[in-house]
Amino acid sequence: MLEQLQNVFRTVFQDDNLIISETITANDIKMWDSLMHLELIASIESEFNIVFSFNEVMGLNNVGDLLHLIQTKKK
Amino acid sequence: MSFNSPLFFLFLFAVIFIHFVLSQKYRSAFLLFASFIFIGYYNLASLVTVISFSVFNYLIAKKIIGNRMLYVASLIINSIAIVLFNYFNLSNQDHYFHISSISFNVQSFVVALGLSFYSLQNIAYLTEVYFKRLQPETSISNYTLYNSFFPKIISGPILLPNEFIPQININAITKEKLIGGFHLILLGLVKKMVIADRLAPSVHSIFDYPDNYNGLTTLTGIYIFTIQLYFDFSGYTNMALGIAKMLGYDLKENFNMPLRSTSVSEFWRRWHISLISWFTNYIYYPVVYRLRKSKKIAALAGIFITFLISGIWHGIGFTFLAWASCHIIYLSFELLTKRFRLNLSERFNNSVYKTISVFIVFNAVCFSNIFFRSQSMDQALRLIQNIFSNFIPYNWLSEFIAPLAIGGHQMDQFNLMISLFIPIIFLLFERKINKIANQEKFNISFVVTSLLMILLFGIFASGSRFIYMQF
Repeated sequence: MLEQLQNVFRTVFQDDNLIISETITANDIKMWDSLMHLELIASIESEFNIVFSFNEVMGLNNVGDLLHLIQTKKK
Repeated sequence: MSFNSPLFFLFLFAVIFIHFVLSQKYRSAFLLFASFIFIGYYNLASLVTVISFSVFNYLIAKKIIGNRMLYVASLIINSIAIVLFNYFNLSNQDHYFHISSISFNVQSFVVALGLSFYSLQNIAYLTEVYFKRLQPETSISNYTLYNSFFPKIISGPILLPNEFIPQININAITKEKLIGGFHLILLGLVKKMVIADRLAPSVHSIFDYPDNYNGLTTLTGIYIFTIQLYFDFSGYTNMALGIAKMLGYDLKENFNMPLRSTSVSEFWRRWHISLISWFTNYIYYPVVYRLRKSKKIAALAGIFITFLISGIWHGIGFTFLAWASCHIIYLSFELLTKRFRLNLSERFNNSVYKTISVFIVFNAVCFSNIFFRSQSMDQALRLIQNIFSNFIPYNWLSEFIAPLAIGGHQMDQFNLMISLFIPIIFLLFERKINKIANQEKFNISFVVTSLLMILLFGIFASGSRFIYMQF
């Protein structure tokens, strides 16, 4: 799942060499700011065929949170 | 009672002293009383307004969960208050506005101190409670203190109740906090009296008499206005944070060296941070969340709506719309060129790229501030026209120095040099100065230097208001 998520990150942030891990936050990726955040969320939703609530989106702190949320939604 | 008036310092000294000697259980009641005096001194209508809005929002929050109608109605009431306040701001004259053939006359009773700031707090509070991210407050006196706390009522910083109310019960006043607060008050006074107020006449000369000056003089006046605005507002914030600290409260920092920003989006993360966080959390994100399937279009719509509302919040008029439009264009451009700019920065020498970026961003912000400061669109357009005509002065003394120095005497020129020299030095060593001012250990050289600067170069004109008081 991490690899699938990584591909979404690479597409959204237009960087084929981007490597993500659970501890990565928005501060670690230069392209990831408030202007790009919801574009990333929308891409993840369509990739994994899930829907995030507004509170869920606002409560995310790092890639680990995102991964756990996707896993919970997919169950 | 402005933060830089002698009467305020008498009031402040008495409040800090009494608050310090009082037992913990009476302190919050005393602060509430002191805040009421501060607001009531401005005018009684402000006091009635702040108490009414505090009680109204406190009671509404208790019933709001699951009640969409009530939530929307309370947002509308708070929003109307902001619009009324900003449209009819701080003038003692009656105001007229026309809808079709009906003419309305609104008396100045709607003028209320800081209403637009604490209304934003109330909207944030109601939203957090409605979406169950925050519990409704249980103490009406604590909630009223949160709304009326005098150091932050004029122009923020904007806080959520959970960032302020838990501090009421802790409220530990230590020697370190008293010293740290005193340092911050001094820093704020230096910024206001030694920098911002010294620059004010040059700005007044260039902006309010735009007919007479050539390109470079006009451009310098426009640069000076952005610097004046920064030192005026960040000086106010330093004082607000310092006063709060001396009373045992930590408020959020509102500025983080914004004039060093390398992009406009970075500028908005460093300038008036609490306001832009409010706009990001309660307007930008909800809009973009709803439209997120449209990807870039969603972000562009979010930028558009956020800055449109921000423009209206600052004041109704074409100048504020033009100011907002500038930032909509800047941020949209940055959104669409982000990857390109990142590649460019990696290709060039980092410090060269950074210096050029800071220069471009500073110019972009200054350009938008032409509209922010101008009284009318005609005045703003005239200034822009002036920049591009006869750029280099023919006679430097009479066409450049004299208009900026407000006089052609040697003393005026000397004064102007000091007024420009101090902010330049300050901006160059800003990080270091901020670090010293934020120390909670008494720094004698900082205190003596600040006091000397204020005594030697400070402007002691009575009635000098902080620019952001009008919003």
